[in-house]
Amino acid sequence: MAENKRMDKKVIIGAAVLAAAVVMMAAGFFLFREKPVEGSKAIVIEVVDNEQKTVTYNVKTDAEYLRQAMEEAEGLEFSGAESEYGMMVDTVNGITADYNVNGAYWSFYVNGGYCNYGIDTQPVQDGDTFRIEYTPAQ
Amino acid sequence: MVGMMVAVIEVCKMALSFLPNIELTSFWLIMFTLLFGWKVFLVIPVFILIEGCVYGFGLWWAMYLYVWPILVLLAWKFRKEESPWFWSVLSGMFGLFFGLLCCIPYVIIGAADGLRHGLYAGFSWWVSGIPWDIGHCAGNLVLMRVLYRPIRSIMGRLR
Repeated sequence: MAENKRMDKKVIIGAAVLAAAVVMMAAGFFLFREKPVEGSKAIVIEVVDNEQKTVTYNVKTDAEYLRQAMEEAEGLEFSGAESEYGMMVDTVNGITADYNVNGAYWSFYVNGGYCNYGIDTQPVQDGDTFRIEYTPAQ
Repeated sequence: MVGMMVAVIEVCKMALSFLPNIELTSFWLIMFTLLFGWKVFLVIPVFILIEGCVYGFGLWWAMYLYVWPILVLLAWKFRKEESPWFWSVLSGMFGLFFGLLCCIPYVIIGAADGLRHGLYAGFSWWVSGIPWDIGHCAGNLVLMRVLYRPIRSIMGRLR
């Protein structure tokens, strides 16, 4: 009986800690997530292909995330596989970087640093410069 | 026995792959630890290796190297507990902190440009996945609560 009561207490405390952790993490998400900026933004998208040739796109956009801005960039074509994390880009301007075939992939940079998100969740801020670079097998 | 345990985990994983972050791997690893004891330590390397062979050895694979052993060690530590609610809470907790555990490689990679950059990379990666972690937590909690008694009863007879 006493053993059961001790167990119940332990479970109740555990459940309370779990519930508190869920609430705190949800609050943390809304506080610290990258917030997109709405409104008109001027951004630059540079594509560096497998021959190190760079094509620059100057884009005026209201896009909140990079994917929409890329879709709005005139002349920029891209495709890839859809996943739960958004599109995994494998082809840009007709050039395919297939990691499973030759270890190459398209790297995404924002203002010189690696993008921390996929193109569907990478926020776009006014003045950003994105670089999409063909990265051969290391 | 080890092959059978891995097969059960893999089949369930594939069957539920259409549901994001709803998985039975946590459930089975806990149950196998409770019912088969040390043998589960043979299951983990085989499971992780098969995962790598099937889905490729990406960064996520490095996370698997320590995330699943942590769960098994926790289950082993509390192996005398029998309350379904206890295991539901523990499994839910594991699901909730799965993303936090998995952000460690991003901290290490980012730390190449300085520790601060590494911490920022890991933190922002973790925060962006919190909604998925909460879903993972809920899935683990409910699945353990629903399946613990019937599966424990069946497996107790098999042992």
